[in-house]
Amino acid sequence: MKYSIAILSLCAFPALANVEITGSVEAKCVIQTTKSGAYGNPIASKLSTTPADGGILPIVRYDVSIADAYIASITHPTAFSSSPSLTDTVAWTGSTSVTQTSVAGMSAYEAAKTVVGNTTNFNLTLAGSTWFSTASSAVYGSAKPLPGGTYTAVVQASCIAK
Amino acid sequence: MLSKLITLGMLVTFGASAHEMTPAYPEVKTSHVKNVVKVEMSLFNSREEIKYYQIDLFDLNWMNIPFSTTYRIIKVEYKEHKSFDVYIREIDMDEAVYLCTTSKVKRTNTSRTLISSRICSRLDGEPT
Repeated sequence: MKYSIAILSLCAFPALANVEITGSVEAKCVIQTTKSGAYGNPIASKLSTTPADGGILPIVRYDVSIADAYIASITHPTAFSSSPSLTDTVAWTGSTSVTQTSVAGMSAYEAAKTVVGNTTNFNLTLAGSTWFSTASSAVYGSAKPLPGGTYTAVVQASCIAK
Repeated sequence: MLSKLITLGMLVTFGASAHEMTPAYPEVKTSHVKNVVKVEMSLFNSREEIKYYQIDLFDLNWMNIPFSTTYRIIKVEYKEHKSFDVYIREIDMDEAVYLCTTSKVKRTNTSRTLISSRICSRLDGEPT
């Protein structure tokens, strides 16, 4: 009887084990489209995303989990991806700037940016989030009025592992 | 440590409308095909307006390198994770550097700028 009780008591105790939870932080870049831009039409021959021209600046946010692992490369448009038929040339201008940061040191990105053609490169040397806005402007040839219709252009936001 | 925690928290909290591809430095593995290697990638789409992503492989000068995969343009639904394998000839591995996914934007009927996102991993290893 004593033996039976001893055996049963052993069975009644739950089995205990330590379960480990492991995790790791690896280099990761996430591109978030915070705001899609919109073109304003301040004068008949011009489309612009600048708020002063009635436009909305497109904003993208880059989240990087590891410092100094990625380059943000943002290209402003130099052509419409869709538009009414245009018979004259379009003069494009644009620029990309840092608008907000999650870490104070990221404000140095703006001064350190490099511009190659219509692409602006930022070296993401710190972990965290950075917001970039891109201004884009298109002026129709010889100050002609742009034909009525819908105009769309694409901003390319790239995050490239170093 | 704190900055990493804050960053991770932000990644979780503000994860909406994002394009994410991992790993940044993928491991090149042998495949079931002779003289062909395989890279295993994972893509996450939380951009509601995007459904398709294009896969590209480039050298250091951004010239295209041949590769094979199930679909070059893959459909990834909103909030979906998708794994995909890229097969590359061993003879091309000396040149292959950037493996990228690019979101395919849809035409709209309002005058606006669209944002195409592209994330590129490096096949030639982590910087030292």
